[in-house]
Amino acid sequence: MSKTGAVERAAEDRPPRSTLVPPALASAAGGRAAGVAPASPLDASLDDFFIPDFCATRMVFAVVLIAELLAVTLSLARPAAAFLTELARISMFLQWLGLTSAAVLCYARPRLARLTVAQSSVAVFGLLMVNTAVISALALWAGTGFGAAGIDMALFPREHWPFLLRNEGICVIVTALLLRYFFVTHQWQKHVKTEAHSRIEALQARIRPHFLFNSMNTIAALTRTDPARAEEAVEDLADLFRATLRDSHSPLRLKEELELTRIYQRIEALRLGDRLKVTWDVAELPMRAFVPGLTVQPLLENAIYHGIEMLEGGGTVIVSGRVVAGEIEISVTNPVAANGPATERPGNRLALDNIRQRLALAYGGRGSLTVEQSPEQYRVTVRSPFTE
Amino acid sequence: MSAAARHVLIVDDELPARERLQRLVAELPGWAVAGSCSNGSDALALVGKLDPAVLLLDIRMPGMTGIEVARHLGALERPPAIVFTTAYDEYALQAFEAQAVGYLLKPVRRERLEEALKHASRLSTPQLHGLATQEQPLAARQHVAVRVRDELKLIPVKEIRYFRADQKYVTVRHVRGEDLLDESLRTLEEEFANEFVRIHRSVLVAVAHVEALERSGEEGYALRLRGEAEPLPVSRRQVAELRKRLAGA
Repeated sequence: MSKTGAVERAAEDRPPRSTLVPPALASAAGGRAAGVAPASPLDASLDDFFIPDFCATRMVFAVVLIAELLAVTLSLARPAAAFLTELARISMFLQWLGLTSAAVLCYARPRLARLTVAQSSVAVFGLLMVNTAVISALALWAGTGFGAAGIDMALFPREHWPFLLRNEGICVIVTALLLRYFFVTHQWQKHVKTEAHSRIEALQARIRPHFLFNSMNTIAALTRTDPARAEEAVEDLADLFRATLRDSHSPLRLKEELELTRIYQRIEALRLGDRLKVTWDVAELPMRAFVPGLTVQPLLENAIYHGIEMLEGGGTVIVSGRVVAGEIEISVTNPVAANGPATERPGNRLALDNIRQRLALAYGGRGSLTVEQSPEQYRVTVRSPFTE
Repeated sequence: MSAAARHVLIVDDELPARERLQRLVAELPGWAVAGSCSNGSDALALVGKLDPAVLLLDIRMPGMTGIEVARHLGALERPPAIVFTTAYDEYALQAFEAQAVGYLLKPVRRERLEEALKHASRLSTPQLHGLATQEQPLAARQHVAVRVRDELKLIPVKEIRYFRADQKYVTVRHVRGEDLLDESLRTLEEEFANEFVRIHRSVLVAVAHVEALERSGEEGYALRLRGEAEPLPVSRRQVAELRKRLAGA
């Protein structure tokens, strides 16, 4: 975390001076707000700025490393001089230059972030060139001072102007390269971020159109024959769709997820009648645990679409859940038609891939989805870590 | 039912869907429900018994799809007109549009139903063929239908040992005997390319029923099928391909 960032955040937490709220209450409110409130506009532009935060330990280390590599390069490029003396001389100078430049950029970054890319680039050039001039002048001054004291002069530069101009030249080239590098890296990171975001959006669980239109048809039939059930079906459908429109980032309690799955089952039962039987074996599951939204419902949907609907006499879907070694394990098993179509529609794999990716986004490598298939049965098992 | 009413047979695996179509058809003047059933084989039996003018035929049904039912009906001398019904099926809709076949989207509107019934027509052989080839996931039939007098008899593809082309017809040799089929060997070969292999200019054999490939005479080969006393002659040009298929099976 950056030092300046911390300072700014502290400033935000301070209650506004103009309000007449008692300090204790205000700080409580501030604390609560800090927990949920989005970052301030200043923070957002800082996060989105292409020049990295040079106060970060990682960046300081990188600066030291780059300065040293540059020193080695420059010493190698001067075969006339003794390599180690040359390296020591250039290293000392470049480390001073690098670290002070990092300090300057660290300090200037919040201000630079308010400028356009072109303006801030010019400003960085200016700042670093001034810094180079100052450090070069200091080196010359120190050299003269030590020279007067009779200490070995080999480590310090002698001529004033050629030394300064050479340094400025190297400074401009290195700065240009680094700015370009930062800019490209930043663009790339931005691209990756938006890509990940849109992927999550695209993966947001959806209800199959097949199910929607069939349910509408069932409701249309029931409005005459059984209006009470038609009403219930509309309510169920509304609940289910509301769930699919939820924010895809927030997980659901397992209890809610299973409730949604039961609602889905209720709607399908109207359409399929006796053909659909579902056995629930989930008493062992911790209902308070969190799961990514709509992971169980699509499994039942698949089991019905590819299994039960294809069987003339229908069949029984088994939904069972256990906790195994701290992991929640839910599996949905359905019977398969013996002489089902040889080529399965791609819809099934798409739905499973979708769940698989959402598990990966939610739990990294700790969530999984596996499929077991035999001529009579199809079973999908979802495992996720137990998070409360 | 008025005397002039034209009869409709409703085929759908879902009870609410059937009930709704029955009610809608009954409410239309000039139309009457002849009957309804929940699967393809019952539909084929009922068509022979009830002789409906139009079939309202669901596409996605267990066992036999609506498309397959339509193809079997094509074997009849006077098949009924067909209007397909579906809630949502991208593949099928593309095929219907391409072949200009009548279809209705569920939930069906009364006016649309009336319109579709009025304009319903029998499917021509090219239309049926088009549906079969465009409907990729539903391509191969599970049965073939043969006409016995005025009724359709279904033969499961799994029970068929071979097809043999005679002059005009194709003979289907299956576990329970022999029947005549009004289709060309070429289209059968295309449709059942996964299960059948050509062993002769005029014979298509089910790989699953093959018992052994044996030498016969000087350079000839013959194929022995399970349950068949007489081996079938294999033309020399087909031996290599047949060997490959038998090895793969």
